[in-house]
Amino acid sequence: MAEGSDQFNGRMGLIFASIGAAIGTGNIWRFPRMVGANGGGTFLVPWLFFLFIWSIPLVIAEYAMGKRSRTGTIGTFRIFAGKKFAWMGLWTAWISTAIGFYYAVVSGWTIKYFQLGITGALNGEGVDTTEVWNAFLQNPGQVIFFQFLVIALTLAAIWKGAKAIEKVNFYLMISLFALLFLTLFLSLWMDFSDGTLDGALFMFTVDFDMLSEPEVWINGLSQSAWSCSAGMGMCITYAVYMSKDEDTVLNAFTMGLANNSISIIAGLAVLSAIFAVNPDPLATVTGGSSAITFLALPEVFAQAPFAPIGPLFMMAGFFLALSFAAMTSMISTVELCVRNFVDHGYERGKSVALTGTALFFFGLPSAIMWVKLDSSGVAFPEFLEVQDHIWGYGLMFSGLFIAFSIWKYGYMRWKSGVEAGVAPPGFRGYLGFGVSAFRDDFINTGDNDMEVGRWWDLLMYLAFPILFSVLMISYFTDMVANTPNVWDPSNPKGLSIILLFWGVVATLFIFFNKFLIRRPLYRNIPEGADADITTLPGGDDELVVAVGEVAPGFEHLSKDYTIEAELA
Amino acid sequence: MMSNGKVIRTRPSFGVLIVLPLLLSLVSPIANASVAQEEPVGTSPEDVWSSDYIDMIFPWAPAGDNILQFREYHTYESMKQRMERLTEQNEDIFQFHEGLNGGVNARGETTTGDTYEGWHYMHATPWLKITGEVYDGDYNPFVGDSGNYADRPDVMIVGNHHAREWMSYQTPIMVMEVIAFSYDNIGYDNDGDGLIDEDGWGDDDGDGILDDDGDCLALDPSFQDSNGDGTPCGAGDLGVDEDYSEQWITDLVNSREIYLIPMLNVDGNIYDREVFCPAPAWETCPSGGWRKNLRNNGPEPLPDPNEQVDEDCDGVDLNRNYQFEWGWPLGATIPLVPGTCTPAEDERAGISNNDVYTGPFDTTDNDGDGVINEDNVDGEDDDNDGKTDEDWAGGNSEPETRFIQDMTEMNDDNGDGESEYKSTLTYHSYSELVLYPWGHCTGCQTTDHDQLVYHGDELAEMTQYTNMQSSDLYPTTGDFCDWHYGVHGSYCYTMEIGTAFHQHQDDVNHIAVRNLGVAFYMTDIADNPRERADLAIANISQQNYLEKLAEENIPEKGDIPIDICVANQFPYSESQTEILWRTVKPSRMQSDFGPREWATTAWKSVDVMAIENGCTTSNGNGTILRGMIPISETATGKLHYKASVTTLAGSDFYQYPADGQYFVLDLSYRAAYGSFLGSLFMFGLTASFVWGGLAVCLRMMLTDEEEIDLAQPESSEDQDEEDDADSGTA
Repeated sequence: MAEGSDQFNGRMGLIFASIGAAIGTGNIWRFPRMVGANGGGTFLVPWLFFLFIWSIPLVIAEYAMGKRSRTGTIGTFRIFAGKKFAWMGLWTAWISTAIGFYYAVVSGWTIKYFQLGITGALNGEGVDTTEVWNAFLQNPGQVIFFQFLVIALTLAAIWKGAKAIEKVNFYLMISLFALLFLTLFLSLWMDFSDGTLDGALFMFTVDFDMLSEPEVWINGLSQSAWSCSAGMGMCITYAVYMSKDEDTVLNAFTMGLANNSISIIAGLAVLSAIFAVNPDPLATVTGGSSAITFLALPEVFAQAPFAPIGPLFMMAGFFLALSFAAMTSMISTVELCVRNFVDHGYERGKSVALTGTALFFFGLPSAIMWVKLDSSGVAFPEFLEVQDHIWGYGLMFSGLFIAFSIWKYGYMRWKSGVEAGVAPPGFRGYLGFGVSAFRDDFINTGDNDMEVGRWWDLLMYLAFPILFSVLMISYFTDMVANTPNVWDPSNPKGLSIILLFWGVVATLFIFFNKFLIRRPLYRNIPEGADADITTLPGGDDELVVAVGEVAPGFEHLSKDYTIEAELA
Repeated sequence: MMSNGKVIRTRPSFGVLIVLPLLLSLVSPIANASVAQEEPVGTSPEDVWSSDYIDMIFPWAPAGDNILQFREYHTYESMKQRMERLTEQNEDIFQFHEGLNGGVNARGETTTGDTYEGWHYMHATPWLKITGEVYDGDYNPFVGDSGNYADRPDVMIVGNHHAREWMSYQTPIMVMEVIAFSYDNIGYDNDGDGLIDEDGWGDDDGDGILDDDGDCLALDPSFQDSNGDGTPCGAGDLGVDEDYSEQWITDLVNSREIYLIPMLNVDGNIYDREVFCPAPAWETCPSGGWRKNLRNNGPEPLPDPNEQVDEDCDGVDLNRNYQFEWGWPLGATIPLVPGTCTPAEDERAGISNNDVYTGPFDTTDNDGDGVINEDNVDGEDDDNDGKTDEDWAGGNSEPETRFIQDMTEMNDDNGDGESEYKSTLTYHSYSELVLYPWGHCTGCQTTDHDQLVYHGDELAEMTQYTNMQSSDLYPTTGDFCDWHYGVHGSYCYTMEIGTAFHQHQDDVNHIAVRNLGVAFYMTDIADNPRERADLAIANISQQNYLEKLAEENIPEKGDIPIDICVANQFPYSESQTEILWRTVKPSRMQSDFGPREWATTAWKSVDVMAIENGCTTSNGNGTILRGMIPISETATGKLHYKASVTTLAGSDFYQYPADGQYFVLDLSYRAAYGSFLGSLFMFGLTASFVWGGLAVCLRMMLTDEEEIDLAQPESSEDQDEEDDADSGTA
């Protein structure tokens, strides 16, 4: 059994990989915008609050599930929510992959900008950053080349499995930290050279009146939810490679806090630089997102001190950091998909190649279709935006499915407990025994330094559904209120198209669920790990076996698989 | 698995599962590619409009329903049925009634529901109360309607005083259909040309051409006169005033109370249709028909159509039976004796005034002072007893006219003792005229002459009819409009529509269409027709202006002042004038990858205050009204603003800039970026939470084997980590 399993070497490997998954372009180009639009330091309050209320608890749940199931998202839902619900894992995998299609394109942009930065093309005399951006985006060959480059690099990084991912992430994250600190140093220098640190002041000043605005809290929640990738299946995937007695809770806290650390550093760097040189910094910061990153920041960085070295360093450093952040997220996206293939008996190499090919081809429309000019003459890829519009909020359901598995497990355990006479009956019994079942059985397993208390149950059973509803309702009411023809299904920015695509995909997946569960599922169990799943809905699924074992009826597959396992 | 050379797959592989949805992403919103197609402006109607519109198939009924499609006349029965049906379907705005409940009326007379039933067929006049939320508001026990709101002006629209004038009830019925269809049906494309609300009634843009959108004028000339009246692209032609605003109609319904009485003279109408002019009426009665109601003045219950001389003088001309200046038609129709019919010998000589019989003399002592008819209704105190018009000589003797009288006098929503009907309209046939009071005197003018002429001209422009004073056509006595204007000060118009009493049924639809707008115009001006006319005549609204702020004028702190300069002649109401504003800020929906997107808030309003400084308009001195817009100093984005100046009477308002436009101001962040100490504190807090927490976590990891009590060291270590973090970044 053990020879088939694939592990991270140490806990730092896991941590770096998870942080890499969490840290993406959202930390570096979305966070400063949110800070700018939501009253500076005011925004930090809800953003920090929801880190502990939403993101970290969900990551704890993900780690706990992945560590026990030792499979990717499909297998995890098959085991935790039951055979009928394997499609939830498919949904999670699909959303992540669908986002990957265009995320590869976006990652390509960042590498292109690193190239532009290091060659000095962005900070010469009279460079019009809008022209540079439009020229790039309207050149399909260029965009596709960099998209291809990103996918190739990602595939190379994950080809060999966990140990390779660990190594790549480690170097990327360390470099990312270093580069961001470099940028931050130069930004603060710029900001301070006019006598005030107004960017930093703004970022840390709380406007207490604004704190009472629900808008700020909703924005804080959504920033925390997206930025940490909590509940989106990434941590389930990486938990598969955990060593047997990994501390899931500590890992979750470390990952969440590291993610927020990067956000603060990046936010401070971006805001300081913009406040230093821009006469109306907030109008710039709250502008369109790609605009601030690719149009405003190069202009700002070009005015860095110690010319010509300073601007060059700043430009190249920032965009390299940005592309590293994008790459690490790309790696986790691909790995999430690949892991699901491998779980179902596909060779890793084949899976990686298939995923990579799909990413490239299905990303092509996002790369080159409908590249339009907005009202101020800035190019943007509308197809890509529409994809983001459709799939972006689909992520939320992955979180809901995780919560569903937890709720279901609690109820199931309590019922069987009552039958066996070990659990008290009635609603009070349910509250006492059922609600805490998941935590008792999968989180507080003895591997963790920190015992997770009742607060976690409260968050999962009460706070999660409330916050989920708030996010969804506020998003859709905003959309309905602000989108013309919102119900027109041919409106790519409308609501109907989202519901249509979600509906079709979910229906398809629910329909295919029965085929899915006829496949054997191979769990990646390290030697001696506590991976007993008998109390889980998937426990009596005889097709769920450990790597190297033979699933009944699939003896013909075992030979191939053994060869692959040896190669790994 | 092969069998008979076919591959049978027992299950799709997992790869297929994942790849299938990928295909979806390829076919994703291609629909967006729909490019706005320039409709070729062709020469035939088919190139521009929907076939339904070209064929005049109205959207409220199936094509084959000839009555509802205005290809055949309604009867009393079918009209009533339709009124009831539409009421069921639109019970939030329609209320169906027949006659009035009765009670003690404004003159102290006791009436019952029977009082208002026709003499012969015993039907009370059916009518609709139309207003938004008609089920709510005050209930009027005498009239029987609810939906009475003190702040909603009332308008009365009456058809078919005269039985044979069939277009005069068909047109109000179409008004009813249009309201039912248009209410809350915003943006309906009436003509199917892809544009909405592009051509409302009348000449919207003031260029003297009714076809505001030019779609009729763009046709080949052979298609431009669809109603065959000789005027290309004139009123009632296809493509002229065809696409009115449903929003406007909805707003009207919500802000007015419409009393729609399509067929006042039910008795006469049934008699005319069933007895006097057997179908088809335009052939049996090409130039005549029954005009009056069915008052029985003789032994036979019905007038005998075969009788050469109708000595019994059956029937009363309802439009001569109102009380104002009743009975003295100053030289118009012989003989000059009110309250009597033509003497038999005159009739035998071929002279008759029976068609305009005013109804009998009033023989009661209305004020109980022992003298009868000493103070006729003319607005003057004829007997110098301090009371006006208290003992009338006659009039309002008929169930139908009493119905109008009591509906008018008993409908006082705001309790000021005056009629609610500031504007009233009655349709008649025929002559293609717009008539305004007076009717009872020649060479005389009302005190509102100029204003009445103004609105009349507007109606005449809309219908391409001729506007004139009623008495200039021929003097009348005791007609609807003289009474409404003379007694109640209501702006009242008589529309003489069409070209025949019994218009051929092929002409029903386009004549009704041609006169639709009149009803809505009268509804619109019902708030204050006099002031509207005054302002329009003086063109004074053009002299006011709103000051457009430049970005530099935004104060560094506090609310943003917006000034409007109002000419002193303008009868503005300071308390009801307001500045409307809204903000546009980056949308929360903002995509991470696309352009800047904006969210627009709803319009809000602030009150204005006059300030010391005066201003100058092109019309002389003015007053500055200032509104303070509460914009937070931390706000960024854009500010939209406009002013709505309400006139003194409070009913009408003017928008600056013109309707649908507004000024835009860029807002920049005005607040301080922050305080040093406050931000230092927040930085410390954030740093200790995030970096401190992270450091604790990392330390715990590295010393994994050691037992670490979590709660204890965290607080004690915070300080260290915070210091570390500080020194790392500063």
